[in-house]
Amino acid sequence: MRLRFRRRWVVAAAAIAALSLTLASAAGAESYIYWWQRNMTPSDRGTDSLTARNHTYNELYFGANAGWKSEVWEVTPAGYRHFDKWCAGNCFNAHPGYYYTYAYCANRDGSTHFVYECKDQW
Amino acid sequence: MLAAAATAGLITQLGLGGSGKVQIGNGSVSALAQAARAADSLPRSVLEYPFAERNFSSPNGGGSRLLQTQGSLRLYGVPGKEGMLCLVEVDTAAETAGGACADRSVLRTGSIYMADIREDGSRLVVGLVGDGHTYAEADGRRTPVENNAFVLDGVEGRDFTVGSAAASQHIDIGG
Repeated sequence: MRLRFRRRWVVAAAAIAALSLTLASAAGAESYIYWWQRNMTPSDRGTDSLTARNHTYNELYFGANAGWKSEVWEVTPAGYRHFDKWCAGNCFNAHPGYYYTYAYCANRDGSTHFVYECKDQW
Repeated sequence: MLAAAATAGLITQLGLGGSGKVQIGNGSVSALAQAARAADSLPRSVLEYPFAERNFSSPNGGGSRLLQTQGSLRLYGVPGKEGMLCLVEVDTAAETAGGACADRSVLRTGSIYMADIREDGSRLVVGLVGDGHTYAEADGRRTPVENNAFVLDGVEGRDFTVGSAAASQHIDIGG
């Protein structure tokens, strides 16, 4: 009897924890990793182009050995480019959500480099 | 003859670092060693971005220094993980922030910089440089390095130069 009660308590606690995580995610910024652990050639472009969103953040992360030229930018469905930032190494650009855009990232060095991830938020 | 050849080799190593690129300084940034002030703390909003956790050596941005303020633009230098150094820009009027982190060795042959392309096509270029660099220049306009940082606004070209009294380094922004 005591064991059955304990199991019910564990299930209830797990359900509450899952609900809390869902609510926290819905209340805060939505995030999406759109390029993940791959070599990126100079001609590759990572993109989150499934749905135009009111983006507020875009980031490229080479890793702790960063030193190469990079770019993050956004493009509206009509083709207008906004929030275009070039960096030496790992790079982020945070801004107000003025436009509905697709997010892009690129390695702008002359040779291929491993990119850990590119991530956007809206 | 032998001595002349050895001297020439030494000069090449000092000037080019043996990698074909001109070197200035050793990558040290004395502005990060200055005594901390309240204004050196990074805004909380910057610390909450995923970038901070992945790149900064301390989760609270410990060791950061306010390098320059120009109008509503503030530039911070931040110690990064595993030998990286970071430059963070915060524009309170535009409500924007950005950051770049790279291995410290980048500072020997150039700058850890960011270049924002504005709506009119010009670029706002901000950079962190190592000790020994005294200026940054673009489109024939030169600005002094202060506290290991510089700001070049309204850059029309796609490159800039950083340098000292004795040497200069050309950097292609791209775009």
